[in-house]
Amino acid sequence: MACMNEDGQWIVLMGLLVAVGLFFLALIINQSALVGQTTAEGVLEFPKNDIRDLREAIFDYVDGGCQEAVQKDIIAISLERKNAVVSFSVGQRVSISGQQAYPVEIHYNNGVTEYDETVYHY
Amino acid sequence: MVNDSGQLYTMEGIAAGLVMLLTAYLILSTTSIYTPGDTHIPDMQLEQLGSDVLAMMDTPDTDGTKSDLEIFVNDDNSTGFEDMFLDYCNMMASDTDTLHMSANVTYRDKDDQIKEHLLVEPDETWTGRESAVRVTRWVQLDKQTNQMRPYGSRAQAVLVEVLLWRA
Repeated sequence: MACMNEDGQWIVLMGLLVAVGLFFLALIINQSALVGQTTAEGVLEFPKNDIRDLREAIFDYVDGGCQEAVQKDIIAISLERKNAVVSFSVGQRVSISGQQAYPVEIHYNNGVTEYDETVYHY
Repeated sequence: MVNDSGQLYTMEGIAAGLVMLLTAYLILSTTSIYTPGDTHIPDMQLEQLGSDVLAMMDTPDTDGTKSDLEIFVNDDNSTGFEDMFLDYCNMMASDTDTLHMSANVTYRDKDDQIKEHLLVEPDETWTGRESAVRVTRWVQLDKQTNQMRPYGSRAQAVLVEVLLWRA
């Protein structure tokens, strides 16, 4: 034991440091895959297009003269096919900056995302 | 003078300790397997593409006219709808993409029932095991005097649903 050769100790130490460094770099690469996944999941989960589309459908409903049957269509089909509770109402015309606009109240809830808006539709 | 004859054993001990910790970490982490190649990312891109295509089809050429989407749905024009949709979503800078679709229209009939009408049948690439995404768009149909379309003749809102997959 007393005459063991200890010349290479620094090399061993540096090798260890490099190995630990590589290990942490690998951990970071491993995490980067999760970033893409959670982002994509978030985008898929959030009903951005549904809400935009619903707003347009409601504006079309207002333009079409607020027919009660169309309103029932939108509410019933939203619940059946989009799993979303939708309600909306149109108020009396008001004057905004000299233009006549309908105040439209929109409520949307699909259990994950809740969306409420009051918008003035010309 | 400090006696440093045991240093190599200390190094060895630390190295062995690290190796054991690493092994324990690897074994424990195998219980939760994350697959980065999961379909979420292509699904997201496909859904966005489909929504954009429907938005393009729903945009009229000039103000006050009907959009192509509304005309296709109103006339129950299966081939016109399919051709335009596939043309738009397979558009690429160089080659064409290989997307396929089917579509149906959900409507509320006069007995207050929600019914579905198959607008575009799926083609032969559809096996039921595709990783398909569903994109939708509301369409408002005007009142119609001659009973032509399958949804009824009153003014109504229908939901166009498109299944989109890559094959």
